[in-house]
Amino acid sequence: MTARKANGALLASPLLLLLLLAFVAPVLLMVPLSLHPYEPGTGISSAWTLSNYTSIVTDEYYREVVVRTLVLGFGVTLICLLMGYPLACYIATAGPKMRLALTMLVIFPMLLNLVVRSFGWIALLANRGLVNNLLIDMGLIERPIKMMFNLFGLLVGMSHIFLPFMVLMLVPAIQAISKDVQAAAYTLAASRLRVFWSVTLPMSAPGILSGSILVFVLTISALVTPRMLGGPTYKVMATLIYDDFLQTLDWPAGAAMSFTLTLLTLAVIGLSSRVLKRWGGHA
Amino acid sequence: MPALTLDRLEKHYPGPTAHTAAKSVSLSVHDGEFISLLGPSGCGKTTVLRMVAGLIEPTGGRILVDGRDITALPTNKRNIGLVFQSYALFPHMSVFENVAFGLRRQGVQGHELKRRVDQALADVRLSALGDRMPRQLSGGQQQRVAVARSIAPRPSILLFDEPLSNLDASLRDEMQIELKRLQREVGITTLFVTHDQGEAMSMSDRVCVLAHGVVQQFDTPEAIYHRPATGFVASFIGRPNRLAGRVARTPSGGAGVQLDDGPVLAASGADGLAPGSPVDVVIRQEDICFGETPSSHAHALSGRVAMRSFVGARVQYLLSFDGIELLAEAATNGPHAGLSVDAPARVSIDPRHVYVTPAAPAGVRAAP
Repeated sequence: MTARKANGALLASPLLLLLLLAFVAPVLLMVPLSLHPYEPGTGISSAWTLSNYTSIVTDEYYREVVVRTLVLGFGVTLICLLMGYPLACYIATAGPKMRLALTMLVIFPMLLNLVVRSFGWIALLANRGLVNNLLIDMGLIERPIKMMFNLFGLLVGMSHIFLPFMVLMLVPAIQAISKDVQAAAYTLAASRLRVFWSVTLPMSAPGILSGSILVFVLTISALVTPRMLGGPTYKVMATLIYDDFLQTLDWPAGAAMSFTLTLLTLAVIGLSSRVLKRWGGHA
Repeated sequence: MPALTLDRLEKHYPGPTAHTAAKSVSLSVHDGEFISLLGPSGCGKTTVLRMVAGLIEPTGGRILVDGRDITALPTNKRNIGLVFQSYALFPHMSVFENVAFGLRRQGVQGHELKRRVDQALADVRLSALGDRMPRQLSGGQQQRVAVARSIAPRPSILLFDEPLSNLDASLRDEMQIELKRLQREVGITTLFVTHDQGEAMSMSDRVCVLAHGVVQQFDTPEAIYHRPATGFVASFIGRPNRLAGRVARTPSGGAGVQLDDGPVLAASGADGLAPGSPVDVVIRQEDICFGETPSSHAHALSGRVAMRSFVGARVQYLLSFDGIELLAEAATNGPHAGLSVDAPARVSIDPRHVYVTPAAPAGVRAAP
């Protein structure tokens, strides 16, 4: 090991040690835990089984929760990308004063507690919430539209909460695109749309990638907002794991679900980064 | 009909840092001509180029290509090629796709597309590299791709924005020759922006010297060098000594200048200026001749060597004459290469090579 590497290892060791003891070790302890069956009434038995994993695939309820979680993750990522990209473009090309003001506005909601923001959406989306009341008063609808405890409510609430992350990742990526390269495309008779599609968008691939991964991971692992806007019945993987560990005490099922969530996350990140890197020419 | 005409082109930037980047720039370029816009940084040469490209909107004047007014056309409708200092290749596209980009916009497809791209790559001697990505190429190769990309759609005007500044010296010399050769072969009218006088002189049919947004002189390299139209051109081209003085008479009654704190020097350019009026004087290092007077009317000066530095092909001397100092040079393999410090030096200066211009107001001088 070179002196430089040794130095680096030494500098990182306090954090490394803490992570090993407080994070990696407990996670590894969960591996055997996930391989024991749970008997209601008696608790975790000492027998070995794979049923905690197989039931995630075979059990219809579990399957639905997994699919719902993935749909939510991709949906929120897509909404954040579609809404965040134009805004990020505007911020990236604005003057320094405007850029600062807009960035502050993007960050501003993040200063507010997550629970408060989720409650805000409950006030808006509930059956007797602001939106439904307004629509009824205007005579547009007879009965309240169900906008909570379903996919719609989760998509709306979580897109709002994670949008700033997407914008903050996109702005530097768009700013880093050389003005000369775009000008070069214009001199080669490309229209504005063509320049955006063939030059600006692929060249911002690193920002799209990091923003999407961040929003996707935050979404599928989010607990507070799905719990509040999804209620006790409309569950995603994170709320299911929480309930397994703290409500039903079915730790083996919760552990198996946790590993499944982790693997899904890693698979999606690996796949998407490979695709986007090829598209953006960074492979 | 000229291929490119700039008609009193103006660019004024308003606001707290208001300045005029181009003042009534008028140029007329023939078909297939290679023109350099030469000047120090901030002289407006890049502004003029970018106005021709449509990337900067002029505040006045017109741009005509083949007699057609293109001033109001957007960049993508002008049919121009632009090579950037930063190369500005599309990093996510292969070399082939970079070159094909402009052709595809013209609707060129299939075999014809491949043929034209291959031709452009062959023109810049990069035939084998079509599949590479730009980041796998050296700086010089990237610049060649940028050139191929801009010539492939056969633009009516080719623009270069200091394309060689990012290359190292030996590669730059090689690219100068190649670009010149290529421009001859494809015959595209070319506007080349540079701050390097050697580059401008060696490559161009004509050179346009710009200072403070104003055209100082637009002529052949020889004329720019031998007959500078303004004091700025004289002091910007070659390796000049810059001095100040007043119009005076030589002892023999001829036209001359009294250098501040120095001798009187014969200067044919002082003829016709009011005696006693302040002037800027430029004497090029290479116009100071060592030894005996080569021609009868040259002005001889006696002084001594204050400093000597060996620069390779030539030896540079700092000579001091009553109160003034001049830089002069001698060929290394010539008879005057061996003068030592404090040795007496006799030099002569042809009065025609003493460039005299009425003293410029402060601020309108060449950058050192």
